[in-house]
Parts: sequence; structure tokens; C-alpha cells
Amino acid sequence: MARSRRLSPQTTAVLLALAEDPAAWRYGYQLCQQLDLKPGSLYPILMRLTDRGLLESTWDTGAPTGRPPRHLYRLTGSGRALATELAAAPAAVVRRRPGLTEGWQGA
Amino acid sequence: MRWIVWVLLMGLLSVALAQIGSAVASGVRYLAARSRPADPPARLLAAAVAALPERRRDWGRAMLAELASIPDRPARWRFALSCVRATLALPPAGGWPVLALVGGAAVAGVAVIGRVAGAAVPGLTVFAVTFTALVGALATLAVARSRRPSVGPPAVLVSAAVVASIVVTALLLHRDPTAAGYLPAPAAVYLAVGLAGCLWVALAPPRRLATGRRGQYLGAVAAVVFAAWSLLSHRLEPAQPPLPAVMALVVVLVVTPFATFAVPAFVAGRAGRSFRAGLSATVWAVTASVPLTYAVWLPEAMRRHAIDGRTLDGELVAPVGADLASALAFCLGIFPLFGLALGVAGAVLGSHRPAGAEHRARRPAR
Repeated sequence: MARSRRLSPQTTAVLLALAEDPAAWRYGYQLCQQLDLKPGSLYPILMRLTDRGLLESTWDTGAPTGRPPRHLYRLTGSGRALATELAAAPAAVVRRRPGLTEGWQGA
Repeated sequence: MRWIVWVLLMGLLSVALAQIGSAVASGVRYLAARSRPADPPARLLAAAVAALPERRRDWGRAMLAELASIPDRPARWRFALSCVRATLALPPAGGWPVLALVGGAAVAGVAVIGRVAGAAVPGLTVFAVTFTALVGALATLAVARSRRPSVGPPAVLVSAAVVASIVVTALLLHRDPTAAGYLPAPAAVYLAVGLAGCLWVALAPPRRLATGRRGQYLGAVAAVVFAAWSLLSHRLEPAQPPLPAVMALVVVLVVTPFATFAVPAFVAGRAGRSFRAGLSATVWAVTASVPLTYAVWLPEAMRRHAIDGRTLDGELVAPVGADLASALAFCLGIFPLFGLALGVAGAVLGSHRPAGAEHRARRPAR
């Protein structure tokens, strides 16, 4: 699969984290904690991946009473293909790497 | 005939004030009941999310919902601050070069307009510079926030009225440069802020006011009716119609200002079943009526002054510049306050549902 821009380590980490269980819907804060990413870095990544059709999102309908429904994310078919490609590449070993929270260079 | 109208207006206003006060108090209680208690991180993030462009609304809602699920206070602060940073770093529409271009054009525009106005109409320099700076700043902010300007008929009406207001002010100051004495720097800044504010509401309305087209159109129509009322009251001043016609005109002149602000707010509030919908119609009515009445006021003042050298109310033999001060006081002060008070009352009454109405509406038909 051809990519027009090189993905940042943070974006790659998000894709690979979601690819661990591609069928599962994940919360944004859950991904923040798993990847040690700041929400200010994670949400722009999620937004851009969704814009590119690599992620699909939905609202959690089972939110407790009095709380707003949370947003859930999972990979689309294109996202899974890209994650598979990234997992096979040597540079993909970026998960939980120290320094992931130092800034965001774009998706 | 004008004094009869004013006496009746004041009488009706004093009677209505009690009702308005009661209605406003109900509105405040309604809003207070609707507002949820939120801690500072939630309020901070909500403010940042409110400034996001429409197409990123879901993104903002997602962050707010996620924050609501975090119980730990320090973690809430970290989450909110990080998200606020992300919203501020959101790339502007067209990218950073476009933003720099718009910002640069705004700065250049202020410099050019200052020189041009200073040479052509010196009395308008402070206004021109302030207005251009404000519009430039708003345009830069709109680009930074990826806001697309509204281009519907109500927005076009307000924009045209603002342009007309500037043209008639320049014309008055060009014809009589001594009128600049009635537009000191604070008044010029006040006029610039008022007109730029109208443009901002019309072209890039805050999200809370963008509750649908109904309010915009109702408000715009109300403003046109109010401007027509203003013109009618100016034109009838020197006329001496027969008594029955006077009585009919008095009723029209007294009732129209109340109806033009209260009725649209009531209708919008009732149709939208919300106070906000009614308030939106009111804000649009006030926003459109400010430049429209101002643009009607000054030409009428110049026309009247050319006849007998008197001010628009016919009371004083004074320079035409005196009417500039009156226009500022009435069109950008008294009328908007009057309209807002009536509109809020109309919105409260329109959105109010009698006790049991909701229950009856939900009950299935037999």
C-alpha cells in the first residue's frame, strides 16, 4: 500500500495498538494510557486517521446515566492493511518507547 | 405628534417593564437550571471546544466526553490542558500561509485606510482605522478557526447596512467637516466596535446563536420593519394629518417597536421549543436593526437639516453633526437595549410550556 507521507512514530504506535484487536472499539483515553501519549497528541492523530479513512468512529451508546457518550475508534479495512504493512516493517517497533510524548510531528 | 408617541411609549414601557423583569428572571432561572455544574478543567476545555470550527465539533465532543469519564482531578487537569493545546494548534483553513497572508493584509489595510481616510475625510480617521483593525482581526481569527462566513440573505442585509452606515457617515463628515466635533475618538471607536460587532454576528455567528435559519430570517425581517418604523416616525414629524389618521398612526408607531422585537423572539422560541432559538432571533433582529436604523437616521437628518437647519427631532436649530451624536445614542444604544429586553421577554414566553403540556403531548391518543 503506497503512502503519500511518512507516518510519525506516534501515529504508527496508534495504528499498531488498534491492530492488536482490530474488531474491538477503543476509547481515546484508553489509548493514551496504553501508549503513554498525551491527549493533545493522540486526538489530532485520531482525527487525521479518521479523515484519511483509516479509522472508523462511533459513539458509545452504553454510557452511564448522567455522562455524555464517549467516542470509540477502530481500524477500517484500509487501516488494518496499513497496520499489517507497518507491523512487518523494522521501524514499527515504537510501541511504549520512551519519548513518545515529546511533541507531535503530524500524521 | 412625536410627544404623544413618546408619552404613550414610555407609559407602555413602564407597564411592560414589570412583565419583562419577571420574564427575564424566569429566563435566568431556566438557564441556571439547565446549566450543569462543571469543574474548572471541564469549563476550560468546553471554552476551547466552543471555538472549534463546525466540522471539528465531534472531535471536541469526544474530548469533553472522555474528560467526563476521568475521575482523578490532577489527571483531569492534565487531560484538559493537553486537549486545549491541541485545539489551539489546529491548522487553519488553507494552512498557515493563508493565515499569514490574511493577517498581513489586515495590517496593511489598517495602514492604507488610515492614510486614505486622513486625506479624504479627516474626521473619520479614528473610526476607519479602528473598524479596519477590528474587521481584519476578526477575519484573521475566522481563518485561524477555519470558520466559513455565512452568506445567506440576512448576512448580506447586515453587511449592506453596515456599508451604508459607513458611507452615510463619510458623506455627512465630507459635507460638513465641523460635524467631526460630534464624533470624538471615544464615539468613533464606539461606532467602529458596534458596526464591526454587527458584521461579526452576521458573517461568523457564535455557535450558540446558530440555531437555524428561522431565527435569522425572523430577526432580519423584524429589523427591516423597525427601520421602516424609524423612517416613518422621522417623516411624519412635520406632517399634520387628520385626527383619525393621527390616532391610527400613533397606535402603529407605539405598537411596532414592541412587536418587532418581542414577536419574532416569541415565534422562534415557540417553534424551536427553546429559549436559545428565541434569543437567536432577538440577537439577529438587534444586529440588523443597528446598522439599518443608523443608515436611515443620518440621511434623514441631512434632509431635515437642509430644509430648516433643525435637528431631526425638529426641536433645535443646530449643526447637522448634533444628529450624529443622536444617531449613536439611539441606534447603537437605546434601541438595541430596548430590543434585547423585549426579545428576551418574548423568547422566555415563547419557550415556556404550560405545566402538563409536555405530559399531554406524550400521552398516546386513544
